[in-house]
Amino acid sequence: MSAADILSQDFELGFTYTRSTGPIVGRFLTGLRDRQIFGIRASDGRVIVPPMEYDPDTAEALSEFVQVAEQGAIVSWCWVAQPRAAHPLDEPFAWAMIRLDGADVPMIHCVAAPAEASLATGARVQAVWAPETRGFISDISHFELAGGGN
Amino acid sequence: MSTLAAVVGIGQTQYKTRRGDVSIAGLVREAAVNALQDAGLEWDDIEAVILGKAPDMFEGVIMPESYLTDALGCNGKPMLRVHTAGSVGGSTALVAASHVQSGSFKRVLTVTFEKQSESNAMWALSTPQPFSVHLNAGAGGYFAPIIREYMRRSGAPRDVGIKVAVKDRLHGARNPLAHLQLPNITMQEVEESMMLWDPLRFLEACPSSDGACAMVIAAEELVHESPKPPAWIRGVAMRSEPTMYAGRDEVNPQAGRDCAADVYRQAGITDPRRDLDCAEVYVPFSWYEPMWLENLGFAAQGEGWKLTMAGATSLDEGGDIPWNCSGGVLSSNPIGASGMIRFAEAARQVRGDAGAHQVPGAKLALGHAYGGGAQFFAMWVVGADKP
Repeated sequence: MSAADILSQDFELGFTYTRSTGPIVGRFLTGLRDRQIFGIRASDGRVIVPPMEYDPDTAEALSEFVQVAEQGAIVSWCWVAQPRAAHPLDEPFAWAMIRLDGADVPMIHCVAAPAEASLATGARVQAVWAPETRGFISDISHFELAGGGN
Repeated sequence: MSTLAAVVGIGQTQYKTRRGDVSIAGLVREAAVNALQDAGLEWDDIEAVILGKAPDMFEGVIMPESYLTDALGCNGKPMLRVHTAGSVGGSTALVAASHVQSGSFKRVLTVTFEKQSESNAMWALSTPQPFSVHLNAGAGGYFAPIIREYMRRSGAPRDVGIKVAVKDRLHGARNPLAHLQLPNITMQEVEESMMLWDPLRFLEACPSSDGACAMVIAAEELVHESPKPPAWIRGVAMRSEPTMYAGRDEVNPQAGRDCAADVYRQAGITDPRRDLDCAEVYVPFSWYEPMWLENLGFAAQGEGWKLTMAGATSLDEGGDIPWNCSGGVLSSNPIGASGMIRFAEAARQVRGDAGAHQVPGAKLALGHAYGGGAQFFAMWVVGADKP
């Protein structure tokens, strides 16, 4: 009497969905399409980018949009020496927390740089827009080091 | 359960086919803000948040509770997600109630939602798996054979489901929040609608809705801080059983009977039809009214359909035990919220705050939800009078 095979099989599961962004995130994404970056003012006066629908401290609904610059400074970063297929850039790059000018909190994005040594906390970066913008976060293709940065 | 608890605030969205104007966060927020306003409270007055919804795969947002913390004012507070299939709206309310009844928290916000316009509830309900045949049945296809068995056993006439479909839509026409507004619906119109899963026709099935429902539940010592009459929680019960096992009575599930017996015992109810003034019962497909009338002890076995046909459950016909005065699941079905809407509408009745679908003088009401293959049950009894 032989032991029964224990069978296993891979399978894929997928569904189609819709997503509505609402008035706050929707305005941010519409701004990207127009190559503008909007944050929102929180109850304590901070400008949060990307905008949140509700205040992180008071839970009140937020509504005061503030346009911020497409330039900013690196707060911290992580170098990707060997990009893989799923990464946004083909050449070595950095994932970075970037505080845009006019914003009080950093947001994460990728920075193209010639070498890890060219990055530093405080290094100035500039958004590079995708050739065609459509209201996606990927409308900002990536950031690059701004001329004159340290 | 040592601490008395009551519903002191109720908030709902309007139920609609599509709320494309708001994010999921915006939808739950609307119900939560309405509940806080109804309770005369602010975010700081809430100590914990209990959130419920149907499976994550419905909207494809995994662990939506983590994304919804800021929308629900959970910063710095405990927040817990509940899930028990279609009964989740009811079980979420019960988890929230137990947080207060246990003495752990004095005031809890509980919220449930579904955004069916952005979801894939039909196919995400039963996913194809290797080694199995995928039935592609959906909920109606699953329940239709069980209904047929009920018809065989009870000898109910074929138009009972049609009567329920009309009755609940006429109730829904009294409720401005109800999704389907069909004040002129007729038996003939229901009968002529497309047969989906014999014996269930299109108009005998629930709609797909976007919406959210929220409640604030407070401990006895804080109830007076909210301006409107409270709905005292008089009994709470949950039961479950496996979907499939030999000998399971799918027409009249043991778990439903046990759950009802438990909640009635706590509330001092010996004859539900006599002792309760109204009930909000999870009836997503028309024939589940007569079936649950029997399962919940409002009628003897095989007799539930007679109450329906006699108009006993109809507000418009002056029935003695109106069921689903809000229009029920047949008029609005944001799945994850549907059970909580039953619980909240029962509370609205005993608060005397149900508007045009108020049962005059209602003092004691049942809220009921079921889910899965009619295998999860959640119920509460709420009353105008403090026990």
